[in-house]
Amino acid sequence: MYSFNYRRVSSVDEAVAALGKAEDGKLMAGGMTLLPTMKQRLAQPSDLIDLSGVGALAGIKREGNRIVIGAMTRHADVADSAEVRSAIPALAHLAGRIGDPQVRNRGTIGGSIANADPAADYPAAVVGLGATVHTNQREIAGDDFFTGMFDTALEDGEIITAVSFPVPEKAAYVKFPNPASRYAVVGVMVARTGGGVRVAVTGAGPSVFRVPAMEAALAKSFSAAALDGITVAADDLNTDIHASAEYRAHLVGVMAARAVAAAG
Amino acid sequence: MEITGEFAIPAPRERVWEALNDPEVLRQCIPGCESIEREADNVFNAAMRAKIGPVKARFTSVVTLTNLDPPNGYTIVGEGKGGPAGFGKGSADVTLEPQGDETTLRYRAELQVGGKLAQIGSRLVAGAARKIADDFFGKFQEVVGGETPPSA
Repeated sequence: MYSFNYRRVSSVDEAVAALGKAEDGKLMAGGMTLLPTMKQRLAQPSDLIDLSGVGALAGIKREGNRIVIGAMTRHADVADSAEVRSAIPALAHLAGRIGDPQVRNRGTIGGSIANADPAADYPAAVVGLGATVHTNQREIAGDDFFTGMFDTALEDGEIITAVSFPVPEKAAYVKFPNPASRYAVVGVMVARTGGGVRVAVTGAGPSVFRVPAMEAALAKSFSAAALDGITVAADDLNTDIHASAEYRAHLVGVMAARAVAAAG
Repeated sequence: MEITGEFAIPAPRERVWEALNDPEVLRQCIPGCESIEREADNVFNAAMRAKIGPVKARFTSVVTLTNLDPPNGYTIVGEGKGGPAGFGKGSADVTLEPQGDETTLRYRAELQVGGKLAQIGSRLVAGAARKIADDFFGKFQEVVGGETPPSA
């Protein structure tokens, strides 16, 4: 065992102050990635600043044509929310299939997107639904939030407070899960909104990405058949023991077609 | 696992070759490199801090330059130990080809990781390695291309 300071804060300002004072501090949301990493000694922060006591960060509400989800809202709460299920069923469906029940009852939307794991599910929702990420400093468009593998637009000391999702006309998320971890080998969110069609892919590349060729085809005809013949280049996709880049490229097409069919 | 890449560097080949053998340039370009010291002619000791997502580990590594073929290229071999985190080792064949006033740098790298890094990070190793290689050569491009040759 090695020691670190544990601090449970009750406000965002308190968290920012604690982080500023710490030598090598780390914010903890649900801890579903951070704690296993610390147990493996792959990270040893001097201070752990636990956000779970910040009540203002949790909760789901509808504001006009948007669903606003607090950063510390657990996946299980998003999956079970009547508000989310009626307005954006694709989002509730996505949240209900993250990891396992333990992860869904601890993990949070803010923690997931701040970590920006290339195979996490929520990035596909943030980009695919054209969400806005709210922080203690500003608002960041979903399209600008993820900047690379485990990289986001967040600055040091910047804390996500909420994510707001515009309600789409229709949307669906389909993933090919790794059978052990349930991480997305490939996951695709397809959404039709007033502003056009969005197709966002997670799991396949170093970071979530959109597929403009599919979006253009679906804007003309929102049907799985419209995607026939549209492929994604394997060049920059991930290869690991579970799937090659070529296999992932193929899965993008399959998952996208299934998502369009599921969106109806 | 093998990764390859190609960068156009706006500097003549001689200059690029010198930079590839300059520990100070290497220190600036290796992501998270805290220090690098020459141990023997073509052997360097480096201390690095790797930060990828939640993982933050300190590595000490030995970097050896072999197959020296000035100014056409060399093989850079690195072996890093991260204490409880595990180890990583890799080598990259680097070749330089003049293109007028510019130089095309190509690399073909092979990488292996072991220990806990490999156990829990296997699905991320390829992506992380590519990111590190691209960061290194991208920075190298910036450092070498943006500098006037030192007046020796």
